[in-house]
Formats: sequence, C-alpha cells, structure tokens
Amino acid sequence: MKIIKISAIWCPGCLVMKKIWKNICNDYPDLNIEELDYDMDNEEVNKYNPGKVLPVIIILDDNNHELIRLIGEQSEIIIRNNIDKYR
Amino acid sequence: MNKISKLFILIITLVIGICNVYAEDKNLVNIYLFHSNTCPHCKEEIKLLDELEKKYNNIKIYKYEISDKTNSEHLNKVADMYNIAINGTPFTVIGDKYFKGFSKDNAKSKFIATIEYYSDNGYNDRVGLYIGNIPLPTYEVNENNISIDEYISDRTNYKISILGKKIELKSLTLPIIAILIGLVDGFNPCAMWVLLFLISVLIGMKDKKRMWILGITFLLTSAFIYLLFMLAWLNAATLLLTINWFRLIIGLIAIFGAIINLRSYLRHRKDNGCDVIDDKKRSKIFNKIKKITHEKNFLLAIFGAMALAISVNIIELACSAGLPVMFVEILSMNNLNIIEYIIYIVLYMLFFLLDDLIVFFIAMRTMELTGFSTKYGKISKLIGGLLLLAIGILLIFKPEWLMFNF
Repeated sequence: MKIIKISAIWCPGCLVMKKIWKNICNDYPDLNIEELDYDMDNEEVNKYNPGKVLPVIIILDDNNHELIRLIGEQSEIIIRNNIDKYR
Repeated sequence: MNKISKLFILIITLVIGICNVYAEDKNLVNIYLFHSNTCPHCKEEIKLLDELEKKYNNIKIYKYEISDKTNSEHLNKVADMYNIAINGTPFTVIGDKYFKGFSKDNAKSKFIATIEYYSDNGYNDRVGLYIGNIPLPTYEVNENNISIDEYISDRTNYKISILGKKIELKSLTLPIIAILIGLVDGFNPCAMWVLLFLISVLIGMKDKKRMWILGITFLLTSAFIYLLFMLAWLNAATLLLTINWFRLIIGLIAIFGAIINLRSYLRHRKDNGCDVIDDKKRSKIFNKIKKITHEKNFLLAIFGAMALAISVNIIELACSAGLPVMFVEILSMNNLNIIEYIIYIVLYMLFFLLDDLIVFFIAMRTMELTGFSTKYGKISKLIGGLLLLAIGILLIFKPEWLMFNF
C-alpha cells in the first residue's frame, strides 16, 4: 500500500493535518507515504487529477490502483481507519 | 344638583378652559418650503408637511415654487441670510434651522423636534420678517438652557444609561457594528491564504529578524491599502447618499454577495478543505513571495513585501469587498464628521487584522501552524452571508434602522 498526500503551503487545512500525520507516522513507521506539493510538484500532482479542494489523500494498492480518495481536512480517526482497512 | 356635582362641573370647565388657553397659547411656528414642481423629493416632503399641519394647529406652512422669479429671489436672499450655498430643492427653513434636501427616513423626527421646541420657546422668524405680510411668532426670545440642536439630537437619538452616564445608542451601536463586521471580514478565507503563504515561506528563513520585519511590513501595507479603499468608498458613498436608487443598488449587491457566501457555505459545509484558486494568479503570487525571501538586498525585499501586499489586497478586494463596502455605507448614512469616520474605520481595521495578527504571531513564535482549521473560514462565510443579507434587506426596506432611528 502506498499513500499519496497532496497539500499546499497556503492551505490551513493541510497545515492543521501536519500534527495528525506526525502521530500516524509514529504509530505506523513502515508506511510508504509520498508527499506532493500542489505548487511545486506540478507534473506529479496532475497525474492524480486532484480537483479543487485540498488536501487530498489517495491510498493506492501495490499495483498503483486507487483504493480510496479522501478530500479535504480529515480527522485522525478516519485516516487511521482507512489505513487499517487497506493495509 | 348638590354641591359636589357643582364643584365637579366647575373643575371640569376650568380644566377644559385651561387646556384651550394652552392650545391657543402655543407659539406660532412658520415653516418655509422652497420646492420645485419637477422634483420628486419635494412632493414627498409636501405630503409630510401637510400631515404635520393637520396634527399641530399652531404651525403654518408657506410653500414657494422656485420656477417663479420672485420665489427664487426669496430663496437666494435666504441663502445669503444663513450664509450657505443652496444647490437644490427642497429647501426648508424653520426659525434658525434649515434643512437641505429631504430624506424620508429622518426628516420627520427632526421636523417634529424643531416644531416642538419652537412651540414652547420663542425664536426669530428671520425669513417671515424678510418676506413680510406673514403673522410672526409671538413668544419672546429667551436664552434657553438647552439649544435647539441639543433638543433635536435628544429627541432623534435613543439613549441608554451606562454607569450613570447617558450614552447615545448611536454612539454605542456603531462601534459594535465596526467590531462585528471587522471580525467576520477578518476570518474571510481569501484574506487569510496569502498570509499563510507568506508565513510558510518566512518560517523557512534563517534570519529571524528579517522574517519578522518582512511579515509585519506585509501586514501593515495590507492594512493601509484597505484603509485607502474604505476612505475612497466613503467619499463616493457620501456623495451619492442623496440618490435613492443608489442605496437600492448597494442593497441588491449586498443580497447578491449574501447568496454567493451562503451558497459556498452550503456547498462546502461537509468537506472541510482549502479551495484552490486560479492557478495563474497563485503561481504569480508564489513566485513573488519566493523572490522576496531570496532577495539579498534587504531594502529591496521590504519593497517587495509592500508590492506583494498591494497586489494581493487588490485581488482580495474583489473577493471580500462586500462587508467593508456595507460597513462604509452604514457609516456614510449616519452623518458623522471626518474624525469619527476615521475612528470607526480604524476600529474596523483593528478587528479585521486581529485574527491575521494572532495567526502571524503564533506561527512566528512556535514556527508551526496548528489548530487553524478551515472550519473558521466556513463559519465566517455563513455569518458573513447572513450579515450581508440583513444589511441588504435593511438598506432596501428599512434604511432608517441602519441610522439607528427606530
């Protein structure tokens, strides 16, 4: 499983989630997370067609197929539940 | 008939007699109206004056249509007497008080207060004396302990008592309105994102002193641009105040803005995220910020921060102009002097900037941004939308409420 995180530095919703991700990464040290910046990693970001609301979290399986997409600010529980579900 | 009923009748007759004498004894009040057959406001005022003439039997109304040569000469003479320029009709004179134009919303209470004051006190009927052949008021002119202006302001403004001091409701409602609209406007997400953008880049800088100076320069310049915009709008609003349909248009704009805000709230109520704005604009601003933070020459970096604030705020105005425009509109309707205007605008600015400042200081001190959820932006859209809706409806149907003459 791979997690794609698309965020931007001007987006307060993304900034708020930094702490949540810190906690999650502590509990799941083996997660494969790719962090993309909406402005700087333009080409990569466009591949995932992120839409107009940030942040975007995409969970991919080992064959790079999209399993689920979470759009907007999320609570820690929702992210944890999804990680547990697809891991 | 026994003694008691005789006495009773005597008292009744005396009381009625006294009342009659009192009514007849009220000072005569002459009202002079200079009007034109072509002006719609004059017709409204004539309607009101006729109504008042029926209500008060000690007033007399003289109307002068100014297309008549003698009448327009009278008007010029009156202008000289009061040492003012008269640039239109209707023009109304009662004793020492004159009223330029006519606004349905507050003319009535002012006329009534003036009539009541002169009914009880003597005054010089300068216009009546000049025109001649007019019965003049008979009361002797006395130095009164309360002036006509004070009396009118007492009668037309609501007062409440705070800690034993009488405070005009108007002088209390305006600050509250300034604070309320300023705060809601401050949480506007479009006003916030550039600041976050800047903070994120500044946090990465090594030179902390430079970081603070650039950030504060940006905030102060933003405030300054906002202030200029509000003053310019105030100027336009006071000029256009007398035009009725202008207020109607502003009211419609407010309702339109309310619909946009509420729609955006309803649409994004469930997903809490950041809306991506126009790609071109964003990358432009992004590049500018990078240039500023990488600029070696400190002075140039400061100029860069100022330029950024100016360009960003011009974009922002389109996004959040609704609330400041409405606030200025309310101010202009309340006939304040220039210093009062500036005090209220600065108060608005302070609360508008308050949340930006808090976010900025916390971010700069802790070097990270937490707890600043997009929820607040959403709530600001809801409250802002409701505020705009209320102001829009009042502007169209009950503008006098916005002047706090309930």
